[in-house]
Amino acid sequence: MRRYLVKRILLALGILFAISIITFFVLNIIPGDPVALMLGDNVDPETIETVRHNLGMDKSLGIQYVEWIAGFLTGNMGESYFQHKPVLGMIVDAFGYTARLAVVAYAVALVIGLTFGILAALHRGKALERILMAFAVAGISAPSFWVAIVLQIFIGLRFRAIPISGLDRPAAYLLPCLSLGTRYAASIARITRTSMLEIMNQDFIRTARAKGLARARIVMVHMFRNALIPIITVVGSDLTTLFAGSMLTESVFNIPGMGKLLVDNITKRDIPVVQGGVMMVALLCVVIYLVVDLLYAVVDPNIRLEE
Amino acid sequence: MSSHVEAYCVYYRRYIMKRTLTFALALALAASAAWANGAKEAVPKANGAAVAGTPQKKVLAFGQATYGETLDMQISTGSLAAAIADEVTESLLRFDDDNNEEVVLLTDFPTLSEDGKTYSFELKQGVYFTDGTELHSSDVKFTFERMFTPSTGAKSYSYFNMIVGAKDMLAGKATELAGFQIQDDYHFTITLEYPYAPFLENIGTSYADIFPEKACKAAGKSWGVDTNLIGTGPYKLQSNDGNTVCVLVKNENYHGGQVNLDEIDIKFYSDNTTKLLAYENGDIDVTDLSASLLGQYKDAYGDQITSYHPLGTTFLSLNLDNDVFSNLKVRQALSYAIDRKELVQYVLDGAGKPANTYLNPAIPGHDDSLPVYEFNIEKAKSLLAEAGYPNGVTIDGGKVRQSESALAEAVQGYAARAGINLVYDVVDNATWNQARASQTLPFTFITWNALYADADFQVYNYFYSTYSRGKSVNYNNPQFDALMDQARVVSDPAQRAELYRKADQLLSHTDLACVPLYYPQSQFLARPYVKNMKVGNLIYHLWNVDVDTEAKAKF
Repeated sequence: MRRYLVKRILLALGILFAISIITFFVLNIIPGDPVALMLGDNVDPETIETVRHNLGMDKSLGIQYVEWIAGFLTGNMGESYFQHKPVLGMIVDAFGYTARLAVVAYAVALVIGLTFGILAALHRGKALERILMAFAVAGISAPSFWVAIVLQIFIGLRFRAIPISGLDRPAAYLLPCLSLGTRYAASIARITRTSMLEIMNQDFIRTARAKGLARARIVMVHMFRNALIPIITVVGSDLTTLFAGSMLTESVFNIPGMGKLLVDNITKRDIPVVQGGVMMVALLCVVIYLVVDLLYAVVDPNIRLEE
Repeated sequence: MSSHVEAYCVYYRRYIMKRTLTFALALALAASAAWANGAKEAVPKANGAAVAGTPQKKVLAFGQATYGETLDMQISTGSLAAAIADEVTESLLRFDDDNNEEVVLLTDFPTLSEDGKTYSFELKQGVYFTDGTELHSSDVKFTFERMFTPSTGAKSYSYFNMIVGAKDMLAGKATELAGFQIQDDYHFTITLEYPYAPFLENIGTSYADIFPEKACKAAGKSWGVDTNLIGTGPYKLQSNDGNTVCVLVKNENYHGGQVNLDEIDIKFYSDNTTKLLAYENGDIDVTDLSASLLGQYKDAYGDQITSYHPLGTTFLSLNLDNDVFSNLKVRQALSYAIDRKELVQYVLDGAGKPANTYLNPAIPGHDDSLPVYEFNIEKAKSLLAEAGYPNGVTIDGGKVRQSESALAEAVQGYAARAGINLVYDVVDNATWNQARASQTLPFTFITWNALYADADFQVYNYFYSTYSRGKSVNYNNPQFDALMDQARVVSDPAQRAELYRKADQLLSHTDLACVPLYYPQSQFLARPYVKNMKVGNLIYHLWNVDVDTEAKAKF
């Protein structure tokens, strides 16, 4: 067990180290000088050099990397070139928006997706199933930013009580969550339908029916419960993806989450913010998978033996 | 066989368990983050809600893009940051909505010594910062010294570094500004190394906003971040997250008299379309309207659109070190190939005025008598042939930003008809900036704006030999440079205008160092109940804006 633990932690550290190297050097070699951008057009070359010096950008890339990684390890991710705010605070704020949007949007997706999936399975071969699956195909195919704009125009502008941007009141969640949730609802509906259809043909369902159990009980307790495992597989994977930020949805709905933070700052070449943001997302994913691996090893004795 | 199935089952169980645990962890993490963030977030009331709660409260909601900098205009340069900062902090002088300079913190315009180097200032008495401290000469001195202190990282000091002692401070050789002398709390002088005509105009920009010494020193590096900005302006910062909304409230003790609005909510939108949908939805009362969306809004909101002409010129910027563009005849051919009137009408939806020279019409020195550059495709072909390219020529490697891509496409089409094949890539701002700074970018498109109506700002900073290198223009005409130098030291406005007229004639006609296209028009949308909304140049100033609350309630 100890060897397994050490191995997994070393692997996670290796992944993080590789990501840090790639992130740092890619950001520093792509075209685009943040200082020139920061200073605007009316600036002389001496000023550019002074600012580069003040920001430590005149040092070699190797030294800059060591300084950055040392700061990162001590919780100091530096300061935004443009906003002069601590990067960590900016990331925490943005992640709060992303997390709230992700949780509510996914809740919407689950309600719609599971309902549609179950109904489609129960009405197999009928018109309702075709309608619901047509929705699922449309939901997966339609780009989320397009859905967002359509919702803003056809719902937001018609019903003034529903805000078309921001997340400052409960009603403001409606459109972005519908926009983001639709895509995920579609995939949940498809997997739920498939999973339910598989379970429906199992012997124990036939037995339940033969026993004269109520239909609702058969569907919810026997069928849905057993169909849930593959659904959770999809849900877990989707939700971790959502934490990286939904750039287009956040941009259209003006939500300052992780996606928007990263894209805005990549455009500006605000390198400390992008480096910090990418590393935090990477760290989040690596830690989650590491903990999952470790927990799995604790829970499943076979793993310990095998490992 | 059975062991194979068993192995598969183990694998499947592991997979499901892993994903389930992943989901559970992710969900727990999200819930905790959401809880933590939700608890700390306090969002101000929306515009409509605030008005509904207190009917007499005058609230203006203004929509603009996220400023993405600090509000300390010594270290920020953008007009979006300035739009907020200028409501809070003031400079000694400022430009009104008609681009005329006016006194703000002074009793009158400063007087100039006979040698043209020393300005004497008298501060208004009884001007207070919103922290309750009175404005004194020492605050002004502190502000300028802060600007030249290297650790500040000020970015626009070059507009003021002709003050005696500034260069020593910038070099770390001095900690006091020798050219700034305080006579008493309300009187001081500033001495320059040499006469510099645009100095007082530079004093009127946001870059010379005056800060309270005590508060600014106490804030340190956080000055200008979020609500850490105190000034003498008509409004003060109440809240500001820099991402969604910034709330300004009335400065009850404003030295300039009654302030019209109780509150200004500046709402930030990174997406132009969303910002305009917010306007349609009534979330904001005023916002800018880009030329690309003008056609879409002209029909439905024509009566709410106000147009104005910033102090800029849009032109095709050419690299005169380029083998092809170094030939004057090629540049002339390119100019003759472009139908500027058609360009403005169809590409810009009429949001511009065809150019007749580089210098903007509102800037002294502009020659109105010149006709708009002629469109003559045959002449263009003939000039190209004379230049040694009878079969046409290709210029590769241009870079264009997304904001100018439609314009570039149109000009590319015009040029192709004359046999000039302009090849370019559309790139982001950062890449474009770097390419231009390389001094080798063959061509690009740009709108060059002046902060105020003075040719020094619009011409010197782009085309003076030392500056034009960093713009990939490489224009170097000693006669032009001499005119620009002379205009800097002459104080008589008429004489200066004549010098700039001559310089402009050289630049944009004799040498055709760039191909001026049009003078851009900008526009904003404002609801009918918004009064006195006017924009003179690049920065939206809301000093005089008022809201008719009764009309707003009925709207």
